[in-house]
This record gives sequence, structure tokens and C-alpha cells, in this order.
Amino acid sequence: MKRRSFLKISASTAAAVAVSPSLIAETLKSEDGKALFKAYEKVQLKDAEGNPLKASKLVKEENYVFMYPHAATPAILVDLPEPTQKEVKLKAEDGTEYIYTSGSGSKGTIVAFSAICAHQLTHPQKAMSMFQYVPTTGKTLAYEKPGVFVCSSHLAAYDPKQGGKVVGGPANQGLASIVLEIDKDDNIWAVAVLGPNKFQEFFDAFKTEHKAEFGRRGAKKLIATEAKVVTLKNYSAELIQA
Amino acid sequence: MAMDRRDTFKLAGVAAAAAVIPTMATASEKKVAAKKATGKSVVIIGAGFGGLTMAKALRKSDKSIEVTLIEKRSMHMACPLSNGLLGGLDNMSLSMFVGDYGQPAMKHGYTFVNSEVMSIDRKAKTVTTSTAGDIAYDILVLSPGIAYDYEKQFPKWDATKIAHVTQACPAALMPGNEHIALKRQLENMDDGNVYIVPPAKGKFRCPPAPYERTAMIANYLKNEGIKGKVIVLDTRGGKFAKAAAFKESWKDLFADFIEYKGLTEVTDIDPVAKTITFTEFKDVDDEKGTVKTEKYEVCNLIPNNKCSPVIAMADIEHNGAGYAMMDGYSFRSKSDKNVYVIGDAVTHKIPPSGQTAIWGAHRATGQIVAQLNGKVKDTKEGLPAKAANVCFSMVGGKPEEAIMVTHTFTADKSGVLKGAGNVPKPKDGKGKFRSAGTAKATREWFGGVMREMFA
Repeated sequence: MKRRSFLKISASTAAAVAVSPSLIAETLKSEDGKALFKAYEKVQLKDAEGNPLKASKLVKEENYVFMYPHAATPAILVDLPEPTQKEVKLKAEDGTEYIYTSGSGSKGTIVAFSAICAHQLTHPQKAMSMFQYVPTTGKTLAYEKPGVFVCSSHLAAYDPKQGGKVVGGPANQGLASIVLEIDKDDNIWAVAVLGPNKFQEFFDAFKTEHKAEFGRRGAKKLIATEAKVVTLKNYSAELIQA
Repeated sequence: MAMDRRDTFKLAGVAAAAAVIPTMATASEKKVAAKKATGKSVVIIGAGFGGLTMAKALRKSDKSIEVTLIEKRSMHMACPLSNGLLGGLDNMSLSMFVGDYGQPAMKHGYTFVNSEVMSIDRKAKTVTTSTAGDIAYDILVLSPGIAYDYEKQFPKWDATKIAHVTQACPAALMPGNEHIALKRQLENMDDGNVYIVPPAKGKFRCPPAPYERTAMIANYLKNEGIKGKVIVLDTRGGKFAKAAAFKESWKDLFADFIEYKGLTEVTDIDPVAKTITFTEFKDVDDEKGTVKTEKYEVCNLIPNNKCSPVIAMADIEHNGAGYAMMDGYSFRSKSDKNVYVIGDAVTHKIPPSGQTAIWGAHRATGQIVAQLNGKVKDTKEGLPAKAANVCFSMVGGKPEEAIMVTHTFTADKSGVLKGAGNVPKPKDGKGKFRSAGTAKATREWFGGVMREMFA
């Protein structure tokens, strides 16, 4: 998508968000007809010290966590060993079809997905995480090959090379992907969400937990300007992976 | 499409209107006239794991489908993990296991009817309820669960005796009152007392349940400092669900508390004298066995299961124990293309677990949505389904540890779905089947299934 058209969408959806982010049915389309595409604040990814995260400095297959697009909605970024497939056709639970264009970066290997399991909303928490990308050197019960995102509580598996498509376990639709832009200075930006997201269900299901961590309305607050990135092993005290 | 401000307001308006449609009928309501089916009316009988999952999934898949969920109980209690409650695990209370039916009904726009089903007329396509009149359907879904079969297991017992044993020796496979009674009895235990668990024979709900319960009761006795014993009177000769993993945990953690007898047959219970009589066999060739009587404080008799009578009430083809015969790999009744069966009531060879019920409810939802929209769904789609069932069992309390099994479901040559199990050793288990991480996964699993039904 060209930058200009992206900005236009950004403006129109910003108006929509102001009305009520929770009530908007997720059937929005971008100007070029992309289904289930929703632009959010353009946000730069930065490391714990506040320095810009550089695409070429990412450790291959490391799980990097950041909050996007809301203060309480975790996403995981991974630099895959191989490029993703291109123009992957995917289908949401309600039948809506959408297209995952490709990974980002010079080789198309950098991906980011909303880290809220499309099955029953398991996600990285500070105490522990059962949701993570299992590197190609790893092993999982959820799928015959590693190199997939896995939720270890119900063994859902999603393939990042196919735009977060479900490849194993009980989920009925894939992961929402975070659309990234990498600029000429190697900086990484999160700009939009593609695919069926679970944000509203997530806020409904974890109301009590979110209130304790973010205050009454803090969880839904949209991330603006920048998002802090930490590795999953530093974000969660314990990683559980089956 | 560039959305302008006006469209945005319209959109928000529509969504807000959609959120307030649902209606609720309660047992106190007067008899209402039969509501006409809309051409896309689905009536679901039974609001357990299968029924609750499906009511929500149908509404999420196709808003034009009108869904009515009928349940005789007024409150939901989940059964998975409830052995942890009995075992006195930390941070576990009854409130974790219960949910109100109104909340998901209102949220997802389906009708919840708190009433008992009295009869089903498949010709007229109506369901008659005890308090909410007749309800018409286009598609009927039966998710009624199990019933206990004391009659066949103990042919000498009359109805009075069965009623007495049912109360005095709670099975606690059907959640609610039975669990509360069992917990109270357990809390009365003292030094020298015996807790007896005779697991059901044949197909029964939640195959690992009696063995998880054995570990959890032992955990309770150990932590309370009660010098008591759990005696398992099994019929399976040690070949039960996750057997190696359970036995390893029993031996490592509760060797002084658990006694497992693999080849027995319970013949009588005297709930007044609190004695159980059983025949114990030396091996499979021992046909005579030795008759023994054991004094107990708690007798947790898990009777043989049969299917809920609702399947027979619908007059669809079923097997000897009342479970519905299926149309190939689908969740449709073999007898009626407008009747679907999910949960424990099916004759697919897949384990009767909460997660299987959820999995089946989603499969059936896809099949029903296709049918109501004049399409056909391939019943083999997505098969084999790896890790279609994931089932955890708590085996230790301090520290909390659990074991697990996963099942792959396939389209079996016999013409029905079949599950094949695998009991893995976890990465944090130091070579054992059990681990603390698996226990955390157990709790997360449980949170997830509750969200599936109620969020």
C-alpha cells in the first residue's frame, strides 16, 4: 500500500475510533479494498533504553514483545529465518476473506502478530507466558514442525509464514497481524492491524485483571508515538511451552 | 471505501442496536404460545460445555440464525479441575467454577430458557418444555450429557436403595450438589479412615477423573495430616487413562496414601453401615475371585454411565447405552438431517471431555451454518486434527503439579471420528510426566474454556 492512501485511512478510522472503538464491527476495508484492515496510530518501536529498534539488529527468531495498538494488547515481533509467503489468502471465523501481503524488511522475514490467542485469549502475562513463537530449533506438541506460534494451554499453532494461519489445534481463525513499516534508516514502525482481532473480547474477559494493572480505562488506551519492546524472556517471569 | 464521519455514526448505531436484542425466558414465566421457527431457528438442549459453546459460535458465525438454549439447571458449574477443589489446592474456590447463563445469552444475542424438556416432536419440529411452552426449530441440537446407570450395574437394588446410595455416595461426575456433598464428607475424615473410589466400567465421562481424584484426595489427606487411605477399586487392571503418568505421581508423592486394586467388581454397598462389598480377582484368569468387605468413611462410587434420556426422547437411532448414532464423520444424527448431537452423547470414538465437547460444538456449528445457508460442509475438513483434545490432570498440591494427554482426531475407517492419545513428558519435568509448568497450563486451560463459554 502506498503511503498516501495509508494516511487517508488513518484519518478516517481515527474519527471512527473517537466514537467508540468497542462497537465497530471489524469489517472495515482500506481504500484499496483490503478487508479486515484497520490503521491505528503510527508507532515507533524502541528498546528498553528508549533507542530506536533497528531491523537489521534483530536477533533471529527471538520473541520481542510490545503493546499495540492498545496499552494492554500484547504483540510479538519475530525475525524469521526465511521470508514469509506472499499474498496469502486467509479467512476469518465469520467467513470474511482477507489477504496477508508479506513479512517486512529487506528479505520479508520480519513479522509481528497480536499475541492474543484466537482460540481462548491466552497471551503473554508478566507472571508467565504460554503464548510464544517456537523457534525452528525447538519442538512443540501443537504442530509437526517448530517455527510456529504456539499457545501451550490448548495447543493452538499458527504459521507466521502464512500470515498467522491456524495450522494446528482448536482455533477457528488465525492471528491478527500487526502491519509494520521499516523506513530507510532501518527503524521499525507499527501502523495497522490486519485480520480478525480479539481486542474487544480480550477487554471483556480480563476486565478485573486490566483494572488492577492499568486502572479503570487504561487498558484500552491507544499506544501513541512509540512502543517499548522487550524480549519475551524478560517480559514474562516464566515461559511455559509444550 | 473511505469512511466519512456520517457513515461512522451509522455504523456505531447499528452495532449498538445489535447489542440489545436478546430476550430471556425464566422458569417463572407463564406458558407461552409456540414460537414459529424462522427458517433459521436453532434450538439447543443442554447448556454444558457443548451447548454453551455452540450457542455463542452460531451467533458469531451468522447473525441471521436465531438460537434458543434450553437448560433445566439455573446455574452452570464446570466439572474440569473440580478435583482440585476437592483436593484443597491453594487459591481455588467454588466461584471459579460457576457461571450465570444470562450473561453470554445477552451478550451474544441468543435466548436462554431455564426449563426442562418434556418431549420432542421431530415431525412437528417442536420441543415441549415444562414451563416455557413449545419451542419450534429448524435445526435441533442435543447436548444433554450423561446419566448414571445404577439399574444395570446393580440389578438387585430397588429404586429406594438407588436413591439412598446416590445421596450417600456422591459420584461427582455431574457438577453441583454432588461435589458439595463429597467435599463435606471428605472434610469429616479422620485418622484411620478410608476413602473408596470405584471408577465406572465402560465408557464414562472424563476417563482420567477417578485417577486425578485419587491423587487430589491423597493430597488433601497428606496436607491435613490425616492418616487415612484412598482405595481405588478398579476393573481395568491398571490400564486406564494416562496410567503411567498417574502411577508415577502416586508412587512419588502419595505412596502411603493410595492403594490401587486393579481387578475388582463391586457387588454391594451398605450406606448405613458404611461398608462396601466387592470381589477381588488375582488375575484375568481368576474367575471366582475372593469376596471382601471394606469399611469406609467416604464412598465415592462412580457408577457406570449411560446417555441422557433426551436422545431416546428425540427417538433418533442410538446404541444400547443410549448414545446417538452419527451420520459419518459429522455431528448429525444418523436418523434425521435436522438433528445434531454434540458433547458426551455422541458415538464417535473420541474421549468425552470438556475440550472435546467444545471442539465438536465448533465442528457442528460449521456444519449447521452451511446447512442453513444451503451449502454442504466437508465433514472431513481439517482432519486429522492434531491436539483436538488436550486434557490436563492435577496430580500434586505442594508444589502444584499436573500431567497431560493430547489426542489427534481422525476420520476412522470404521466410519466415525476416532481419537489417538499421547501422554508427553513436559520440558520442565526433569524426566517425569508431571511438572509445575503443566499445572500452570492446567489453570490457564480452565480459564480459557470458561472464557469460551461465558465471555
